[in-house]
Amino acid sequence: MDANIYLPNLARVIFVKEEVPGERAIKTFHVEFIDSAGFAHECGQCAMLSVFGRGESMISIASSPLVDGYKQFSIMRAGRVTSAFHDLEVGDVIGIRGPYGNSFPIDAWRGKNLVFIGGGCGLAPIWPVIQTAVKKRDEFKQITVFYGGRSSRDIMYRTELDKLRETAEVHLSVDKQEEGWQEFCGFVPANLMNKEPSPENAIAITCGPPVMIKFVIQNLRSLGFQDNQIYTTLENKMKCALGKCGRCNVGKDYVCTKGPVYSWADLKELPPEY
Amino acid sequence: MEKILNKIQLSDWIAALDGWESFAPILQDGIWSYQPIKRGVNSVQLEYPNTTQPPKNFTFPQREVFFTFEQIKGEAPRLTQILPTDKPRVIFGVRPCDGQALPRMDRLFNEQFADIYYQKRRENLAYVGLACNTPPSRNCFCKAVGGSPFATNGLDILMTDLGDRYLVTAVTAIGDRLIDHGVQLFSEPTGRDRAEAGQLRIAALKQPQRAIQESATVPKRLKEQFASPLWEELARPCIGCGICTYLCPTCHCFDINDEVATPAPLRGSRIRTWDTCQFPDFTMHSSGHNPRTEVGARLRQRINHKLQYFYENFGMFQCTGCGRCISGCPVGIDIIAVVNQVTATPEN
Repeated sequence: MDANIYLPNLARVIFVKEEVPGERAIKTFHVEFIDSAGFAHECGQCAMLSVFGRGESMISIASSPLVDGYKQFSIMRAGRVTSAFHDLEVGDVIGIRGPYGNSFPIDAWRGKNLVFIGGGCGLAPIWPVIQTAVKKRDEFKQITVFYGGRSSRDIMYRTELDKLRETAEVHLSVDKQEEGWQEFCGFVPANLMNKEPSPENAIAITCGPPVMIKFVIQNLRSLGFQDNQIYTTLENKMKCALGKCGRCNVGKDYVCTKGPVYSWADLKELPPEY
Repeated sequence: MEKILNKIQLSDWIAALDGWESFAPILQDGIWSYQPIKRGVNSVQLEYPNTTQPPKNFTFPQREVFFTFEQIKGEAPRLTQILPTDKPRVIFGVRPCDGQALPRMDRLFNEQFADIYYQKRRENLAYVGLACNTPPSRNCFCKAVGGSPFATNGLDILMTDLGDRYLVTAVTAIGDRLIDHGVQLFSEPTGRDRAEAGQLRIAALKQPQRAIQESATVPKRLKEQFASPLWEELARPCIGCGICTYLCPTCHCFDINDEVATPAPLRGSRIRTWDTCQFPDFTMHSSGHNPRTEVGARLRQRINHKLQYFYENFGMFQCTGCGRCISGCPVGIDIIAVVNQVTATPEN
């Protein structure tokens, strides 16, 4: 008889940081397993996290697999479970099961230029790829990160992004004009067209609000990126993450097992229900 | 193994099934449903149309507890998994369409990540089927989706009604064992019994049924018609009640939630309940983004999942043609009519 796939492991919150304040608050958590050695993961995989008594949510793992000892999650306060996460303190114990889904094929991207395009809390799912690429910096050519928030207050990983400028090109943006903002004003897809990254020997990886992803992919294609040079991750609603509950179903795929990572070449074959 | 059982001895056979909990369709308050058979209390008769609900609950109950938790804030919780402990169950009178549901559910629940709750119930379950000499519902369409009124897929035994007796045909080793339990009640079938059953089978296969036109090409045609405006038009009467999915023998979508008994110290359980793709919030992200906001998209999801997506993954329809979603729909949405209209080629 197999193990119980619905029974979570236990992990302790060892670090909490407020990334973004206010209505669209984002907090970053580090958790370490306390009942087992836990699991190893790959870039792009997700986990089901639970606050007992409030429920479970699918959250992508934001730390690089090269980080030992803890897993990082950055969670926007949105619904019942994510709000419960925002009430957690260091020392609290949560449930965690995973890792689920496929991953970004970064080993196949050695020797390439990587262009990351993130929006809002959509930076978190691609963050492990960025971190892994930085840690293996000499395996990749140019690394460029486009990232934007609604306002400067909505920019997550602010300190880390500033540090990232040492090894990568970082282009930040805010949606609307703002006093004191030195960088691009406008939506992320517009910033992409403003800088026009070259598709030559490049892979583009994007995650953000669905409408942003849609225009980013359009713009990447107009810049000459081919369908198999564009990757995204579909963070659909999930309940089981095991290919059974039906929530994340898009066409013949259960995103939790066939995805969440898709190249645009594969994604465009699915019905546009994500 | 193939035997003859006089109808009046059906209750005796059930009584002889030591160690098994038996269920059969019982008419109660105008509804046929599978009820436990208490020895010597109810006399079992299988002259029924079909049950209002399929026997899905026996493998995939509407609500079940995964585990309980107890937690003091800041401390590790105590989790206690609650696994099914039911006695072996034998269900009498399962129609072939409902038998067909099991191999489909097996693909979903047993493969890749095996679901221990389903597995434990499934391995403790036997189906004694009843062939459909005549279609039990005017909405039957098993033949259009690869089934048959005499199909044995998913069944352990198929019984054929020969008037005053049943021809009892074991399909699996479990079926043989069930017959062995009451072996003294059975007699050997004669050539006439077998011939009679054969004729009933041929007649049943010839019985007209409602049909999905050219069902072999339906997956392909549904794919082509994804953007058809007919989805929205045909779904307009839908009130989103979800009964089509709750009555379906193969619909398996579910929700997982925590139920709290006491808040401090925290005590509660994590439960699974049926859910349905027909509810607007089924796919809604907590951001408010919803991949399927339109009622037409939700009707399309239900039908395409059964007749296109599942077919693309497993080479068989996820619909067994029981017709319950048609009979049970309060506004008359009819899967056969919808598929036929949406996939009708322009020249039709």
